[in-house]
Amino acid sequence: MKTSARIAGLGAALLCCAAAPGSGNPYVRVPGNPRFQSALLGDQAGGVAVADFAMQDHPVTNAEFATFVAAHPEWRRGAVAPLFADSAYLTHWQSLDAPGEPLAGQPVTRVSWFAAEAYCEAQDARLPTWAEWELAAAADTTQQDARGDPAWRQAVLDWYSRPAGALALVRQSPANVYGLHDLHGLVWEWVQDANSLMSSDEAQKFCGGGALTLRQKENFAVLMRVATLTSLKPADTTRSLGFRCALGFRCARGLS
Amino acid sequence: MRTRPFLKRLLLLAALSCPPLAPAQGPLPPDSLYQLGARLTTQDGAPAGLDLHRGHPVLISMFYGSCPAACPMLITAMQAYESHLDEASRARLRVLMVSFDAARDGPAQLAGIAKLHRADPARWTFSSAPDNDARRIAALLGISYRRQPGGEFDHSLLITLLDAQGRVLASTSKLVGDTDFQARLRAATN
Repeated sequence: MKTSARIAGLGAALLCCAAAPGSGNPYVRVPGNPRFQSALLGDQAGGVAVADFAMQDHPVTNAEFATFVAAHPEWRRGAVAPLFADSAYLTHWQSLDAPGEPLAGQPVTRVSWFAAEAYCEAQDARLPTWAEWELAAAADTTQQDARGDPAWRQAVLDWYSRPAGALALVRQSPANVYGLHDLHGLVWEWVQDANSLMSSDEAQKFCGGGALTLRQKENFAVLMRVATLTSLKPADTTRSLGFRCALGFRCARGLS
Repeated sequence: MRTRPFLKRLLLLAALSCPPLAPAQGPLPPDSLYQLGARLTTQDGAPAGLDLHRGHPVLISMFYGSCPAACPMLITAMQAYESHLDEASRARLRVLMVSFDAARDGPAQLAGIAKLHRADPARWTFSSAPDNDARRIAALLGISYRRQPGGEFDHSLLITLLDAQGRVLASTSKLVGDTDFQARLRAATN
């Protein structure tokens, strides 16, 4: 899994802003927040600083991931070392390099953190950080921070309790206030710092419940995400875990 | 180009007289960390892969240079673990420190740390990795770290022992007195 040579400076900025490889899944600008009240990170008074960024419109689909696999055969099912993806990696695809028609427009799942990282890097992008993802996902269709809204919370929790069936296609639900689709209600998503969301000490506190140090305890929906991500190892894949890519400030500035 | 018979004999003789610990080439086992194509820069300013000490047992950990207390302790702890080995075993061991703060830990900074700790330059390598590679190495080792607003890092302390092919043999987060880890280290360097 050698990474391709980096294109330095302005060239990279232009390239990633053009978003050529992700043209079917464009990068949508999300304004940052110097004092974002994360349920997990930063201190309660100051929050955590999140710079402007951009994030893909919807989770990466099977068809989009197949394009990447075709260009990077080392990421084909069976070719990837077990160190980087477990044995369930892409096992739902019809063949080694093609998902098959019913899956094409569904979010890709059964992908490891390493695979998601490699996909985004091939686009000159990266996975969103937890803070970026949390900020983007705090919005509903009309407000940037809907987390205090009981209706929003209930809608998110309803998805968690829905029985897992076949995945829907992407973009079937309305976009949030930034224009992003499917942050809730479709799949879990890898984040760049999934491996570092909690130290083991903090994880124990979380599991202990009574000693919960996470803020906004009522924001159970967020805590479900954190618990899910921290229970995974970076080579793990699951049938409901996908991802989307993000770009940093310099690239995000060039977008509308 | 054909090798001359004399040279061939010389090579054979060399191979017989100082057998390598393990093959430093050829295909890697499927669980070898050395499959990761990470790009390190060492304290000499040289580019290197994670596999630069392939063929030797390796102690590996991650740190950052401007770390006030925890990282110096980590390095001291690794020196303590290797100090319990006999001289021949210690000569076989290599140590690889990878900084996740590539922006600040350039070759000069890394060389300064090596000197400060009087780390044997023949066996110890201080290096840094670009962000994306550092994340991958940390993920493979099970090390978590997070940059704090002030430029410090919160990070876990973990020392990992790799075999000659880059497979994880053991790891410890105890900076002193992990007798099981010490025993594994002794066995791996025997």
